[in-house]
Amino acid sequence: MSLMLEVRGIDVFYGEFQALFDLSLEVRTGETVIVVGPNGAGKTTLLRCISGLQPASKGSIRFLDQPIHRLPPHRIVELGLVHVPEGGRVFPNLSVMENLKIGSYVRGARKEFRKKLEEIYELFPRLAERRTQLADTLSGGERQMLAIARSLMSKPKLIMLDEPSSGLAPMIVTLLLEFVARIRSQGYSILMVEQNVRKALSLSDRAYLVESGRIALQGTREEFSRESYIRKAYLGL
Amino acid sequence: MEIVFLNALVNGILLGGVLALLAFGLNLIFGVVKVIHMAYGQCVMLGMYVIYTLKVIYGVPLLVASAVSVVIMGVWGTLLHLLVIRPLLGAERLNQLLALAGLIVVFENLAHVIWGADLRGVRVDLPIVSLGNVFLKTSNLLAFGGALVVLGILYGVLHKTYVGLAIRAVAQDRECATLMGINPGRIYLLTLTIGGALTGLIAAFFSPIYSVHPHFGGSFTLMAFIIVVLGGMGNLAGGFIGAFIIGVVTSFAAVITSTEVAEIVALTIFILVVLVRPQGLLGARRAR
Amino acid sequence: MKAVAKIILLGLVIGFPLVGVSPYLLHVATLIFIWAFIATGWSYMGRFGLVSLGHGAFIGIGAYTAGLLFNHFSLSPWAGMIVGGILAGVMALVIGWACFRFGVMGDYFALLTLALGEIVSLVLVAFRDYTGGSLGFTLKRVGSSWFYLQFEDKAYFYYIALSFLLAALFLWRCIDRSRMQKALRAIGEDEIAAATLGVRIVKYKLRVTIMSAFVAAIGGVLYAQYVTYLNPHTLAGVGPSLDIAFKAILGGMYSLWGPTVGTTIIVVLEEYIRVNYGAKYVGISQIAYGVALVLLIIFMPKGIFGTMEEKIRRVLSGRSRSRDPGQKH
Repeated sequence: MSLMLEVRGIDVFYGEFQALFDLSLEVRTGETVIVVGPNGAGKTTLLRCISGLQPASKGSIRFLDQPIHRLPPHRIVELGLVHVPEGGRVFPNLSVMENLKIGSYVRGARKEFRKKLEEIYELFPRLAERRTQLADTLSGGERQMLAIARSLMSKPKLIMLDEPSSGLAPMIVTLLLEFVARIRSQGYSILMVEQNVRKALSLSDRAYLVESGRIALQGTREEFSRESYIRKAYLGL
Repeated sequence: MEIVFLNALVNGILLGGVLALLAFGLNLIFGVVKVIHMAYGQCVMLGMYVIYTLKVIYGVPLLVASAVSVVIMGVWGTLLHLLVIRPLLGAERLNQLLALAGLIVVFENLAHVIWGADLRGVRVDLPIVSLGNVFLKTSNLLAFGGALVVLGILYGVLHKTYVGLAIRAVAQDRECATLMGINPGRIYLLTLTIGGALTGLIAAFFSPIYSVHPHFGGSFTLMAFIIVVLGGMGNLAGGFIGAFIIGVVTSFAAVITSTEVAEIVALTIFILVVLVRPQGLLGARRAR
Repeated sequence: MKAVAKIILLGLVIGFPLVGVSPYLLHVATLIFIWAFIATGWSYMGRFGLVSLGHGAFIGIGAYTAGLLFNHFSLSPWAGMIVGGILAGVMALVIGWACFRFGVMGDYFALLTLALGEIVSLVLVAFRDYTGGSLGFTLKRVGSSWFYLQFEDKAYFYYIALSFLLAALFLWRCIDRSRMQKALRAIGEDEIAAATLGVRIVKYKLRVTIMSAFVAAIGGVLYAQYVTYLNPHTLAGVGPSLDIAFKAILGGMYSLWGPTVGTTIIVVLEEYIRVNYGAKYVGISQIAYGVALVLLIIFMPKGIFGTMEEKIRRVLSGRSRSRDPGQKH
């Protein structure tokens, strides 16, 4: 399997405060990699740095063997790396359909907009029902679904999900993670930050534990779930 | 007496049409770039001077002069973005406001130095139409009609095209928009260019109606702010409605009392709106 | 060392007219003092984030109150100053209370004051039977008199204006050192936190606003008495309001001498162009200073003096500026 995303030794600062310390991570083609860790560990910062929203003061990031750590976010999206931020962030005053349409803004995705739209509506019938509704009238779970669906519209190669299940009811979380599983089975590479370690682990190929801005642990799914530290701290066993 | 009021009402509505364009431009810029273009009315003034110079001094036909004005003011908007607004994007809001207020001084004096303090008018002889007891100047009718057409086109662009969608997305959530592959810098540039072109267009509608002078922009800038705040800053629909309200109110007030009092009334409305309901009629409550 | 320099400077300024300088230079200096006086007063509000783009309202109220009372009732302009100042103060109180109570801040506050300044100008024009409308009116001549604040010899106004300016600067110092300043700084940084700590926000904001208005009104009276002519477009409205704000900002509205420095630069520039190129080209000086202002805001948001002051302070304390990787745009 070739390397889709390669993060090497990045430092990220917010002013004087250092959030990430010499962090390295990789995602191979077709893999689903999860990143877990306590609140404030730097997981969101990691994703924001990869997608270009936050600059790294040191280190490098390569996507499909291209350096992206100096690129602005919109160029990174064009290369096929998509970031779904936390909290079901959709455009509130655009309709569901318009949100999906803007998802296909990237050149190359526009031609297939209609076709992709139908696929998405099949995959997410709830969204199809609400297609003309303004996005901020949707429920939390629906908004998250919309955000993920929207990310698929740009025909991405790697999807980064930031805590897709946060703030959602357990039933919705199950539904959502089912979708992630389906996306995974369609061959997308996924990098997912999750609080809900147990469920996320079951979807993943490999995992990283981030604590206080550093990688504390990494390994395959089996290695991870066997690790007693993880079992105690995050799986409650 | 009623005829006078009827005329005031109708002319107020006609004026409202063009004011709606003015409000649209301001709201678009504020909504997308989050900057209050303090010198918007002054840009309209400059557009009018361009038309005046082309038509009266160089004998260019009015339609052509108007088209050229739209183009020139569009470029002017682009320059404004590159030279003033873009460097200030990271600055404090007040500094942005002050810099653009500084442009008021620059533009007005530019006009003063180049064209002098006297009134400059484009003389166009257009007939007066009458509908019953109401007398309408064709120039006003054309302005109204033209404004509505342009607004319709702009609406279409904003809602049916990818670019329009991108503009709206950037206005709602700039960061998220970049994650869609939208280049915000380019959208800002486009917004300021469209805003600028609009001032050229408004200038074209105004030229047969008003004579221009260096302080012409002043009352229209204030008028535009009053409308924009009334309708809700950044709210395009609100600006549309606000324009007609202010158009009619000032028209009535001018007929009943005088133009100064009409302006005082408009400004007082403005102050009251800022105090009591700063989000305007249609705006959403913002955390202050 | 600094104190000696200050004394020498003060001596020069005080001795200036006595050295037999031309009346024209005295005139320019007096103008500088009067506008710097108003600009310093403006900065009482400005430095705490209360940017007023409508000080013309207060200047106009002060000038017209005193001027009309003088012309019609022979009221001494000194008394006129007090009356005008009080009226301006009342207006500041009402508007200020309304704004601060309703939480109007920042841009909205600036726009509101802009509207206010324009309203006063329009009202002055509308009552043209009393005020002479757009053409303004002239003060009646009474010859040289301390009581009526008119003098044939310009040197008197020079010293009077200078005294007022020094008073305004002194008041600035007082505000700067007072409890109020700390309170307002806290408000400036985090208003909600300050409120929870019991800081009486509205009270302090009102205080500086009223003081600022009072100074502006007095400045208006001074100016009117000096030129013996009042006009709603030179004293009230958008023009002078923006003008005063810019004078303060150009020099640096956060520092004591900033407004004075800014005023000096602008007035000198204007006069220079007027003298050498004629009144028509005064417009060019305005363009120049408008452009300079815009550039200044872009490159030196603290104003000329403010930025210099900061640089000097940094050099003196030996600290190097820490770089923070700012936000991407």
